[in-house]
Amino acid sequence: MRRDRGALVFAAVFTVIVLALLAAPLYASEIADTTPADNHLTDTTVVDGKRVDVVGLDSIPIGPTWQGNYFLGADYNGRDLMVRLLYGARTSIVVGVGAVLLSFLLGIPLALAAGYRRGRTDAVISRLFDVLWSFPALLLGVLLSTALTLHGVDIGPVSVGSGSRLIPIFVIGLVYVPYIARPLRGQVLALREQPFVEAARASGMRVSAVMRSELMPHLWGTLLVLAPILLVNAVALEVALSFLGAGINPPEPSLGTLIEDGLTKAASSPHLLLVPSIALVVIVLTLNGLAEGLRRALDPHGVLGLGLVRGE
Amino acid sequence: MIIFAARRLLAALLTALAASILAFILFWTVPNVDPAFWLGGGQKGNNASRALATEKYGLDDPLPVQYVRLMENILNGKVDCFYGCANLREAFLQALPVTISLVLGAALLSVGLGIWLGLICVRHRGRWPDRLITGAAAAVYSLPSIVLAALLWAFVAHKWGVFPDEGYVPLRDNPFEWARHLILPWIAAGLPFAGAYVLVVRASLLSAVNEDWVRTARAKGMSERRVIRRHVLRTGLIPPVNIWGLDFSHAFGGFALYVETIFGLPGVGSLTADTIGTFDLPPVVALAIYLAIVVVFASALVDIAVAWLDPRIRRARATT
Repeated sequence: MRRDRGALVFAAVFTVIVLALLAAPLYASEIADTTPADNHLTDTTVVDGKRVDVVGLDSIPIGPTWQGNYFLGADYNGRDLMVRLLYGARTSIVVGVGAVLLSFLLGIPLALAAGYRRGRTDAVISRLFDVLWSFPALLLGVLLSTALTLHGVDIGPVSVGSGSRLIPIFVIGLVYVPYIARPLRGQVLALREQPFVEAARASGMRVSAVMRSELMPHLWGTLLVLAPILLVNAVALEVALSFLGAGINPPEPSLGTLIEDGLTKAASSPHLLLVPSIALVVIVLTLNGLAEGLRRALDPHGVLGLGLVRGE
Repeated sequence: MIIFAARRLLAALLTALAASILAFILFWTVPNVDPAFWLGGGQKGNNASRALATEKYGLDDPLPVQYVRLMENILNGKVDCFYGCANLREAFLQALPVTISLVLGAALLSVGLGIWLGLICVRHRGRWPDRLITGAAAAVYSLPSIVLAALLWAFVAHKWGVFPDEGYVPLRDNPFEWARHLILPWIAAGLPFAGAYVLVVRASLLSAVNEDWVRTARAKGMSERRVIRRHVLRTGLIPPVNIWGLDFSHAFGGFALYVETIFGLPGVGSLTADTIGTFDLPPVVALAIYLAIVVVFASALVDIAVAWLDPRIRRARATT
């Protein structure tokens, strides 16, 4: 990692992006002086010393002003696009990171159980993954999301309303569990035959202890390589789900809802589509670069077979 | 070969069955779900409509009975929609050629570009054409197809009117118009995959180039063109073919959904997306199951095709 300059550059860029997104509320209150939900249909702003309508009489919003207010222009409700972009990208990344963590949380124990116990446990878990794998990620996401949005989730103490951000996190996290558990299971299968694992077992260590202190340390590298690849896929899936109306719900900005919103208005206001599109491409490019750098640093010979994990 | 194909199709059938059970559980038996509420018109329904729905769908019957009846209805296409679609199976079969055109075109574009550019990389490995192409491929691979589709539709089709921004013409009616309506969707769906495939093909061919039999072929004076075609491509393309199979069987429930929605193509993807938008429960389940069947059998067909190309896989997989 330290030797790979490319990976370091991408890691730095991604850190800057994350910091910028964390500062979204600060930008909104201090510089743009608005919130992502505030309409400014009848307001005016000053550009180059002249007063102009935020949303013109022909109901076309202003484009980028390149200054504090409406830096990237406004949308059809007169909302500041820069503020909405910062909040939207933040939502997309939060959903993505949450989903990746959930996939890890579910995928690691399943992979450990399947790979270490083998036999019937492995057969059941692997068949389950086969079924999930045979479903395209987007279709499964859309289905789960529709089911959860229809019913809401109300299991025990956990109660999630149908508009909640937790639904896309849950859906995307669940969809990608096999993408994590499959390579991990293969690795655990190979590791359990190693002498040090046998020694630990022979010394009377409990199964949970063997997994925690003998197996897990060898899996962190794989997880570290998988994380950014999975995050790219999770963010892309959030965009596709929100675009289809099965992810983040419209008044709340996310990269998906912003692109969906900008699509039909791009003919008269190209900035509404270009801005979120470029933002998404930059995020995906950065994460792909980071993933490739990490892979080269931690898995130089490609033995893990962690090439392209593609959801969508 | 026939045994392998039969085994693979049987496995596909079982997977489709498992998928249908999954879809059924998902929609009918999630905790706190009252199907009668949704089938009785959701928020707009009342006690009478809910009682009617319970009666009509037999919601008081045991779950296995309900499952079998639902599957019968779905396979016969007799699924009720509240928003007026005559026969879902007919609608699906009518939309299927559109999606097959989209997916096959995108597959040909990306696989063709992948092999062609991958070969150029291998021929000039380490020199500038190789570096230029791998760099461009990595960049294109980072371009999400949903963004590409949105930009192409909004500017090239809708704003500048270079290509039609809506609709579909069947191949048999007018091949030229068919291609004109599909060319942007093909590019949007195929180009990001092409970027990935160039890298995959290049890596796979590079490892094939170093095999003993390639050195032997060169040593006995075979022409370079013949070495590549007969010895490098034949073995080097097997790993990528497996990836293509997975990608393009998944496409029916993947990029088809948003690419067709964006370009106004009346295929199974936009049919599904529209149905989801109405939150109409039975047709959503039915479409999901139709799509799962298409996906599962498409990937089975790809596996059989790969095994037909490569006898080693056929033998290895038949024994497991």
